[in-house]
Amino acid sequence: MTLLAVENLHVQFSTPFGAVYALRGIDFELSKGEILGLVGETGCGKSVTGRSIIGLLDENAEVTQGRVRFENADLLQLSEADLREIRGNRIAMIFQDPAVALNPLFTIGQQIGDVLRAHGADLRSEQRERALQLLNDVGLPDPAQLVDVYPHQLSGGQQQRAMIAMCLAAEPDVIIADEPTTALDVTIQAQILDLLRMLQRDREISVILITHDLGIVAETCQQVVVLYAGRVVEKGSVETLFAQPQHPYTRGLLSALPRAGSRGRELNVISGTVPSGLERIKGCAFAPRCGFAMPRCHEQQPAFSAFGPKQQSACFLHEPLNHD
Amino acid sequence: MFTLKYLLRRLGFSVFVLVGALVLTFFVSHVIPSNPAALYAGARPRPEQVAEIEKKLGLDKPLHQQFYLYVSELLEGNLGESYHSRRSINTDLSIFLPATLELVIAAVLIALLLGIPVGVLAGAWPRSPFDYATRLVAIAGVSVPSFWLALIAQFIFFSQLDLLPLGSRISRDATLFYPVTAQTGFYLIDAAISGNWKAWADALHHLILPALVLAAYPLGITIRMIQTSMLEALSETYITSARAAGLSRRVILFKLALKNAIMPALTVVGLSFAYSITGAFLVETIFSWPGVGKYVTEAVLNVDFPVIIAVTLVVTVVYIFVNLVVDLLQSLLDPRVRLA
Repeated sequence: MTLLAVENLHVQFSTPFGAVYALRGIDFELSKGEILGLVGETGCGKSVTGRSIIGLLDENAEVTQGRVRFENADLLQLSEADLREIRGNRIAMIFQDPAVALNPLFTIGQQIGDVLRAHGADLRSEQRERALQLLNDVGLPDPAQLVDVYPHQLSGGQQQRAMIAMCLAAEPDVIIADEPTTALDVTIQAQILDLLRMLQRDREISVILITHDLGIVAETCQQVVVLYAGRVVEKGSVETLFAQPQHPYTRGLLSALPRAGSRGRELNVISGTVPSGLERIKGCAFAPRCGFAMPRCHEQQPAFSAFGPKQQSACFLHEPLNHD
Repeated sequence: MFTLKYLLRRLGFSVFVLVGALVLTFFVSHVIPSNPAALYAGARPRPEQVAEIEKKLGLDKPLHQQFYLYVSELLEGNLGESYHSRRSINTDLSIFLPATLELVIAAVLIALLLGIPVGVLAGAWPRSPFDYATRLVAIAGVSVPSFWLALIAQFIFFSQLDLLPLGSRISRDATLFYPVTAQTGFYLIDAAISGNWKAWADALHHLILPALVLAAYPLGITIRMIQTSMLEALSETYITSARAAGLSRRVILFKLALKNAIMPALTVVGLSFAYSITGAFLVETIFSWPGVGKYVTEAVLNVDFPVIIAVTLVVTVVYIFVNLVVDLLQSLLDPRVRLA
């Protein structure tokens, strides 16, 4: 069942150098209770996509086209007051670095209490009870003590767990996790990802996991959406997409991964660089770097072609032959 | 959080500062050429009179002995006596210091109660007309000379509108018909304690204009500091995460961001409070406010050393105290600040 659908989303930033086209048409659907990975290089628009869903773009950003459907409403059309009802309550967000995403001057309990109060829990004793429960749910030891400490007194992993507890406070249906493990140690990374998987399994929470790490996607997600220069190039279920990547960019990414047994051999690289956001791109954004590029790739934007029921790729190579 | 150990160390250090200030003012004021004994003697003294007074005041002794005498008096809590009026400085200060503190505290309260919300909103709406208007007010508050502001305020509220009195702490009618019994020296407090509400209203009426004029400088500083640090706080990730959690704008601005923004402002506001104690002398003079500023101005004009030294010491104590309070407040507000 589709819970949230991003349709043809375009976002641009006004900068002193001119308009930067950050998103040039993003389409994907998030189903109830699944973890969807949003992958791509730095600057491909992963975070902008996540933030525009709940209307948290910076002031110089503008959504120029598209819709974000969530329960018969277009989130992009909602007023600030209506959005506030959605934020935290229905769709919550986890950030990359918990050390800066938590307010340094308030205790963990106070910060969870603020979220509870914003979404209807007025009693102080009830708030504390809930906060203790939440800290316990995210696997923090000794909640009774941690509820009264300040963020700087926690380790990075504990901070991220506290942040997740804050996100769970109002029992959201969707969590957008923007690189939730990038700032953490590798061992802690695995624990946090386990926690996200557990929440998805036990509470049927859907997660949009924004990451640049294909390994994390393979381990954690059911669905994956590959972004390149503000566009979706390929999307589908993790099993099929990782087994049979169709788009040349996805193939390039996967073959660039170091693998067991490849020690001493040179890694594959994708030659060339990502196009600047200042350019207007006519055809396929990847065409200048693509080994298979045809003349029309530079002229026309390829539509999605389906590979089985679970995978789609935006590339002319896979277009069904047209017999006129 | 702070500890007793920290507090004791800070107080020990304060004694050091105090002694430094004392030595400096004492020796500087005794080295500059003047004749305090002649001043003490009054108009047209005869030379033998002056010599006699010099002996009485110990001015004929070597400087280090004079210092020793002064310090031993000081340690007994005696600030000495004015060469000019021959009144006890302790008595004088017990009248003038509360008057100044009442004025300065009122001014700083106005600055904070007005400056903080205005600064928060200006920081919340950068580049809005409100932001530009408050910048103008803030810059004017800091840069317009207080004596000019005082004269303009008197012209408008006394001459033109006839709303507020021209000066002094309380009207003569009030002192005659409902006199305030002095306990703390703060008229508003003394009148309130004795339930003398007519005198209380009268004192408040007199306080408004000088307090507003004196508030201009700390108000300007508070607005600017809060506005700048609000801008900074609002760009932090924890504000984005608070918005993502659906918290209201009111909570984000006045609770989450303000608590972070108030820290840098605290230091500056604290200093401007201490500064106002002596900075008030122009305002006090114009409004005939019987305070320390007016007292020390006269002392300087008369080269009345004991008074100058005593006031310097008192102001030093106020500076030290305010700084200590600011540091303690900061450690209360920010759990990351460890005072050790």
